[in-house]
Amino acid sequence: MFIRKKFGAASVALIAAFSLTAGAALAQQAVVVIEAEPTSMDPHNTTDSVSATVQGPMFEGLLRFDDTMSIVPVLATGYTYSDDATAITFELQQGVKFHDGADFNAEVVKMNLDFVRDADNGLARRSFFRFIEDVIVEDEFTVTITTGSPNSAMASYMAHTSAAMKSPRVIERKMADPDFNADRQGAVGTGPFKFVEWRDGVQTVVEAFDGYWNADNAAKVDRIVFRPVQEAATRINMLQAGEAHLVFPIPTLFGSQLENDSRVSLYTGPTTDVHYIGLNLQQDKYQDVRVRQALNFAIDKDGLIAQMLDGYGTIADSAIAPNVYGYAAQDIYEHDTAEARALLAAAGYADGFSSTLWTRNSTEFIAVAEYVAIQLRELGINVTVEAYESGTLFDMLDAGEGTDMYIGRWSPGTGEADYGLRPNFASDRVPPNFNNSGFYVNEAVDDLLNRALASSDPQEALDLYAEVQEIIYEDAPWVFLHIPESIVGSAPNLDGVYVLPSGNVHVSGITLN
Amino acid sequence: MLNYILRRVFGMVPVLFVITIIAFLFVHLTPGDPIRIMYGAEIDQETYQQMREREGFNDPLVVQYGRYMVNMLQGDFGMSYRTRVNVSDEIIRRFGYTFVLTVLAMFWAIVIGVGVGILSATKRNSLADRSSMIATITALSIPEFWFGLMIMQIFAVQLGWFPTSGSGTWIHLILPSVTLGLGVAATIVRFTRSSVLEVLREDYVRTARAKGQKESVVIWRHVLRNALIPVVTMSGLQFGFLIGGAVVVEQVFAWPGLGSYLIDSILGRDYPVIQALILLFSLQFLVINLLVDISYAFLNPQIRYD
Repeated sequence: MFIRKKFGAASVALIAAFSLTAGAALAQQAVVVIEAEPTSMDPHNTTDSVSATVQGPMFEGLLRFDDTMSIVPVLATGYTYSDDATAITFELQQGVKFHDGADFNAEVVKMNLDFVRDADNGLARRSFFRFIEDVIVEDEFTVTITTGSPNSAMASYMAHTSAAMKSPRVIERKMADPDFNADRQGAVGTGPFKFVEWRDGVQTVVEAFDGYWNADNAAKVDRIVFRPVQEAATRINMLQAGEAHLVFPIPTLFGSQLENDSRVSLYTGPTTDVHYIGLNLQQDKYQDVRVRQALNFAIDKDGLIAQMLDGYGTIADSAIAPNVYGYAAQDIYEHDTAEARALLAAAGYADGFSSTLWTRNSTEFIAVAEYVAIQLRELGINVTVEAYESGTLFDMLDAGEGTDMYIGRWSPGTGEADYGLRPNFASDRVPPNFNNSGFYVNEAVDDLLNRALASSDPQEALDLYAEVQEIIYEDAPWVFLHIPESIVGSAPNLDGVYVLPSGNVHVSGITLN
Repeated sequence: MLNYILRRVFGMVPVLFVITIIAFLFVHLTPGDPIRIMYGAEIDQETYQQMREREGFNDPLVVQYGRYMVNMLQGDFGMSYRTRVNVSDEIIRRFGYTFVLTVLAMFWAIVIGVGVGILSATKRNSLADRSSMIATITALSIPEFWFGLMIMQIFAVQLGWFPTSGSGTWIHLILPSVTLGLGVAATIVRFTRSSVLEVLREDYVRTARAKGQKESVVIWRHVLRNALIPVVTMSGLQFGFLIGGAVVVEQVFAWPGLGSYLIDSILGRDYPVIQALILLFSLQFLVINLLVDISYAFLNPQIRYD
């Protein structure tokens, strides 16, 4: 098996272990080059990782994920679940101020969560907070979130970047004036950096916030400038010319070229993205599990990773990635054409069949689709690849008509198994409700997911998640492909940054030596 | 002359009206909708439908077009779906970037193109002529994308003379403008060369030479004045293409002009921006065509407009 590993999962693309010693000069500007323009400065209206990365230095939530995807407290000092996992209570930090001078307290937490959940406000992240039934202010610095049904993943949701706290003044302004543009002007958080400017196509700038509450995590550079540069080769040239301190993402093609370049420090680490081929189980040909398993045996995943990902990836040995909480490894479907043929023949498809494989129209996705098509043709499965722009593809999958095979990618932003599995495999998430575009319906899976989520005993939940992953892998509603690695380049003098497996880059601690 | 200009300006109105319809249909009939592209699979159906309603996507196309036209006639091109900025303001800001870039690219193209073209024609079949023809064909064949990255690698990364990309100072302009001007320069070289060669064969040139005028006087006074008219037409149109077509160069050099704005907007299905840019690029062509026609009169007073 060809797997390139720069370092273990625990250190996930950890760029810095040590930060600059205290007292160093601060007259510094860090240039971070990103692949696209952010779409919003409002964390409650953001679903893309570029925007989340840019917002990161300005906003904080009650909790966050560290570089190993473990949950650590930020604006909360700690949290406790109720015994039946229907409530979570947070004790809050005191003395925290927003960049506009507003105080942070339990009322502010309630205000934020109530605002994002209110359908009238039309925020993109509303559905993310659906699990909340009520937000109760216990006292000035204690707040409790209750849910309608048991939910042991609440802390993971509250550690997501979407659960960042906005200044109450921004929310009040938006409530008073619906035309107020919080997407552009709502960047007021409690983070170590405050918003300076966002010039489309040019840069977004943040600068160190003097009144930051936590001296341990205070800004170590004066300013961070985010520059959007779509062309990957240009991003790399900027790094080599010393014009950028941090550049991402770097396509795998350039990875090996840069490995020996002294001007560049290169870091790779596994992501939480699982790439797969979804099968529409409403189609007769995919209803027999032997056909689905045959497709899994038919693909040479090692070859795919070596040829299409230049070695930067691992085989998906579950429906969720190893960095996701609750992951349990399964025995992979080793490449075995004879086994695949036998299974197809046993299912009555000895001569194969015809199918259509939908993919996004990006080069990487099309290349993988073509690779898969060639391998399946060897079994007599005549695959036609059709590439669509991602928005179109989502529409077609949501419509649920005409779906055959489709290439998908899923990464649970919450870093835990429920959000990794439920949207893709729960029977109430079939189109048009969510991501179960293959119409996979399995009562055992539904039951296990519900029991795991309701469990307040961590070990019991882990056991249940392990069981459900085994069922799903065996049942093969997907052809499990790979988990790519992310590649980030930096100047040799950069420290203090880490890349989350979910794709967000945590730059608040950026340091230039 | 004034009548002619006015007639041409009024003639643009129906053309622009048709363009608004084409632009509107083009963006609305292209598959994929902005909300899905922006938020992916992360929003639920209810929120998605609510956002569609808010943006007016659920109205019939005719109603949407009517609303677009009413707003546009009041000078309001709407708000970008993607970045929530006023489209007109953003276009004005970005137009400045693209205009400066294309003017400088055009400057390189004309200086090099006309200069080398004249040299090639007057020294026909010489080593200089042959070298310039090889260079022109090479320049025409090189993809802008590749050329841009190559000069970036040599002059910015290896030699460190220029910044790789971005904007802010005049130095930032050099590499992208050279890249953008390269293809046009090559076209102008070929055009100038053949045009000059054609005029050199004219009777009045032979007459001027027979009268014993110096060769430089013959070239500058008799040949160029006539030979440059088609070059001006072609250069004008090329300028129009450049403004609309700086897309690749702006992408490569992360230049925040209209080209990169158009690409971002198409990728994000940012309807108001795409519609406004198509209209603007069309208007530019019409205006540049008009200016080219008018400029003939200055180059050759014998041309009269009815």
